[in-house]
Amino acid sequence: MPEAAMISDPVTDLVEKLTAFNKAVTTRTVIAQTPKELVWALNKARVYRYIPVVPAEKRHPVPLLLVFALMNRPYILDLRPGHSFVEFMVKQGYDLYLLDWGAPGPEDTNLKFDDYTLEYMPRAIRKLKSIAGVEEFSMLGWCIGAILTTIYSALRPDDGLRNLILLTAPLDFSDKQAITFARWTDERYFDVDKVLAAFGNMPGEMIDYGARALKPVENYVVNYLKLWDNLDNPHVIEAWQAMNTWVTDNIPLAGGVFRQLIVDLYRNDRLMRGEMIIRGERVDLSRIRANLLTVIAEGDHITPPCQSKAVMSKVSSPDKELFSVPGGHIGIMAGSGANKLTWPHINGWLAARSK
Amino acid sequence: MATNNDEKQAPNGRPPDPMEAFREVRDTYLDAWAKAMVETVNTDAYAKSTGTVLDTYLSASSPFRESVEKAMLRVLEQLSMPSRADFIALADRVTNIEMLLDDMDATLDRIEKALTNLASASRNANRAPAERVRRNRRKVKGVK
Repeated sequence: MPEAAMISDPVTDLVEKLTAFNKAVTTRTVIAQTPKELVWALNKARVYRYIPVVPAEKRHPVPLLLVFALMNRPYILDLRPGHSFVEFMVKQGYDLYLLDWGAPGPEDTNLKFDDYTLEYMPRAIRKLKSIAGVEEFSMLGWCIGAILTTIYSALRPDDGLRNLILLTAPLDFSDKQAITFARWTDERYFDVDKVLAAFGNMPGEMIDYGARALKPVENYVVNYLKLWDNLDNPHVIEAWQAMNTWVTDNIPLAGGVFRQLIVDLYRNDRLMRGEMIIRGERVDLSRIRANLLTVIAEGDHITPPCQSKAVMSKVSSPDKELFSVPGGHIGIMAGSGANKLTWPHINGWLAARSK
Repeated sequence: MATNNDEKQAPNGRPPDPMEAFREVRDTYLDAWAKAMVETVNTDAYAKSTGTVLDTYLSASSPFRESVEKAMLRVLEQLSMPSRADFIALADRVTNIEMLLDDMDATLDRIEKALTNLASASRNANRAPAERVRRNRRKVKGVK
């Protein structure tokens, strides 16, 4: 009997572990739990206002608008209670708004940066200012959201933008050797028109594959091994599931924007060279006068640090800061150390400029 | 005096994990593999090979995709059902209506703001003469 128990124990352990692993991988966590209300909508885009928890007289008078990337869900900013940038900022007394672009459908294949920056953003910002009863606002753009906020800030510098925060902003595409995506989307190897003719919008699954393939071993092997090694640690499982829920919730990228991203930016670096034209207007980065904080992730493989630095010398902002954080593209804002390093720094910088 | 079991325990009080050494070797190997793969994917050869795979897939699937689309369109027509193009046209119109509504909302906001400013200015204007009268009365009393 003891011998049988000794033989069966490892097998039972393995089965239990496999069951727990399978459950952890397939469970979708409840995310984005910070209370919010819908205040504006246009097509798929939505603006949410987070319900303030700080009395009005103690709140910062300048509202903050969060603008996330187009091809991922924005709830990475509000992943789970206790680990949410949104929750943190609301507690710090910000009147906080989120611009959620939604998932483009077949009817949105022609949407371009032009539409997002000059049709959607001005309307969303007008509504924000109307609700908040203010003329000035702050804006935080992350990844492609940083491209959008940068273009908007350059095209509409007199629209009341006081503070601009760019997180892992892919703006400079001059160093083709350092940017793996630039190599993959080189016109010799990648036919953007053929892809869009087949799919209309760039499928979320393809974008997800591209992002994961930059670090294939980490994303396809190590990530799951970390979970396997920590199946007895509920905190690790909870964090892993929340991140996995976000990572696997892919949305397509509108065809028009994808073409601009590849042709105008990755291939021709038009934004940094001052050659990008949005609805007939040239995007001149020197027109940006808002206070600027650029946050760089030192270990970013999606937006290498070299892509975010050059903007500092292009803008006219007298008040600008480049803040470098150890970590990856997502980790600097949603990783375990974000609430000790990145969030407090953003809060400190913004609070001093939101009076 | 420590027992044999105590001696076998790790500093954190847990029994030693026989898999620990294996994990260390595994992680070292994975680190090396990860670095090699990051370098591999950032090469022209990798970009060319993935581009070729994608291009081949798109070329091969194109005739099939087109024939399915045509067949589906015919079926929908025969069933008097709207096609994808019809829905797209409808969605465009709805978005245009949404934009018009948003424009109206903006106009109403401007009107409301202008009226508030006007009302405020009017209150101030009304208050000003009364204040002047009060000041004058005080002056007259002072003279007396």
